[in-house]
Amino acid sequence: MADEQQPSAGPFDVNTVRELVRLMRRFDLSEVNLQDGSKRMRLRRGTSQPIAAVPSAPALMATQQAAPAMAPQAAVTAPVSNSRLIDVKSPMVGTFYSKPAPDKDDYVKVGARVNPETVVCKIEAMKIFNDMPAGVSGTVAEICVQNGGFVEFDQVLFRVEPS
Amino acid sequence: MFQRVLIANRGEIALRVIRACRDMGIETVAVYSQADKGAPYLALADRAVCIGPGPAVDSYLKYQRIIAAADVTNVDAIHPGYGFLSENADFAEMCRDCNIEFIGPPHDAMRKLGNKNEARKLAKAAKVPVVPGSDGLITDEAEALKFAHQVGYPVLIKASAGGGGRGMRVARNDMSLISGLSSARQEAEAAFKDGSVYLEKYLEQPRHVEVQILADQAGNVVHLYERDCSLQRRHQKLVEESPAPNLPRKVRDNICAAATRLVKSAGYFSAGTVEFLVDKDNNFYFIEVNARIQVEHPVSELVTGIDLVREQIRVAAGEKLRFKQDDIVHRGCAIECRINAEDPADNFRPSPGVITKWQPPGGPGVRLDTHACHGYRVPPNYDSLVAKLLVYQPTREEAIKVMRRALHEFIVEGIKTTIPIHQKIFNTSAFVEGQVDTTFIERTFLGGA
Repeated sequence: MADEQQPSAGPFDVNTVRELVRLMRRFDLSEVNLQDGSKRMRLRRGTSQPIAAVPSAPALMATQQAAPAMAPQAAVTAPVSNSRLIDVKSPMVGTFYSKPAPDKDDYVKVGARVNPETVVCKIEAMKIFNDMPAGVSGTVAEICVQNGGFVEFDQVLFRVEPS
Repeated sequence: MFQRVLIANRGEIALRVIRACRDMGIETVAVYSQADKGAPYLALADRAVCIGPGPAVDSYLKYQRIIAAADVTNVDAIHPGYGFLSENADFAEMCRDCNIEFIGPPHDAMRKLGNKNEARKLAKAAKVPVVPGSDGLITDEAEALKFAHQVGYPVLIKASAGGGGRGMRVARNDMSLISGLSSARQEAEAAFKDGSVYLEKYLEQPRHVEVQILADQAGNVVHLYERDCSLQRRHQKLVEESPAPNLPRKVRDNICAAATRLVKSAGYFSAGTVEFLVDKDNNFYFIEVNARIQVEHPVSELVTGIDLVREQIRVAAGEKLRFKQDDIVHRGCAIECRINAEDPADNFRPSPGVITKWQPPGGPGVRLDTHACHGYRVPPNYDSLVAKLLVYQPTREEAIKVMRRALHEFIVEGIKTTIPIHQKIFNTSAFVEGQVDTTFIERTFLGGA
């Protein structure tokens, strides 16, 4: 926040900040950075959990309402896990998309039948989209990442009940 | 200034960069392989992203994943550390094309200087003495033999795309030259995807003296004086120090001036090191430029008071150097011991595993750069460096005494380390008198205990 009192509304004025927060909520923005010379302010919206530090054992990513990309990933303990379920993991780092286009349906929903070639999602890295096949036959039991979420290598994307 | 930086490296240098960023109020994103999962230093970054399985080729060298991680975490810049992608000009260019600054030199300069043969040409043009060598790549045996007979044996066969001590072999006669050439070519092709080789006169028992340079994007170049890294085993440095002991002032000034000249002529910016060999008559010869921050950079930091990683970041962000050459004063003596997870009693066999006891040294004049700690598991997949132990004192004599004390205090159990070999070095009169060269370790310790 600005150190000096400013007579006119500048970017670091309380009213402006209030308005920015309102706009962030309305347009579902996760982060706004402002800079005016040497003054800087960052507004970040999301859960109050800290940005993921060191993930421990592969954790399920909770579905969340927060905005994509910079939203902190919540590592939660696995629910009563069925050890029969097979993890479908990410082979790359990027952004996870559950649907082929924003106006289309999800590739798969919970309960969908898949075979190894079924495209279950796509992962985008550096503006290149990679279709991800399921790699297994079975039924989708869990979808572990939100559309637009960031995924790292080996992160669990889906859990499939094998058939 | 950058708001967020991704560190495309691991271990002690990753921690070094994380610290520099935090000191500057810059957020950090660390990347890690599954072999490094759970490493305590990762928790010191603001965020850590898994980029692949243990083998470096599938993780730390997977530039697509690193850039993807950088893109999605919205970083302004990537610091490559040393090794891995730090001297990969294509990677540097790719980062910049993606609007992510690469904290290092311009990729063109990196390409020029990264090719050893090209670097030699640049050096000659900048009136920097070079080791007598074949003018260009060797394409057939006749050429090689002609050169060897001209400069006299022994000669050194060097891979043009090599570096860090790799891709070199000595030939002492015609037979070993011919057989050595084909082996060197094969090895170079396998290791660097470039089988081109050239020849140099092999200097017997030279000293390895290198100059730390720093340059900004406005063309200002300074040097932070020299380091002597003669203590090596199989071309891997064990001990580094500054100033170079028993080096006449005039020679040192000339070496530093030559380094600055070369780097300026290449249009270089960021931190870098120019390496020279110094023969028994104190003639110096350029061998190569390391276009990155180096393992032993803290030695120069201690004797000049300049934080090199911080300056790299500032330069990359477009800031000018705040000091001129005259502002950089060399004070005292600094020595670094590289503590590796290796067993000196078993031919330096790597010794990965869990550290069950970690009692680091301390006290005035002692600096320890390490990512390791009690309970840390040293993975088997990477180089074996676990810690850099440095001492800084007004004189070399005092520095040696403090290093002996620090080595004595340093207790590590669960893995083997090279601490015992360092203790031997610091009690060897030739070292204490500053009379060492690059063959010293092998001669004195016969490649073992």
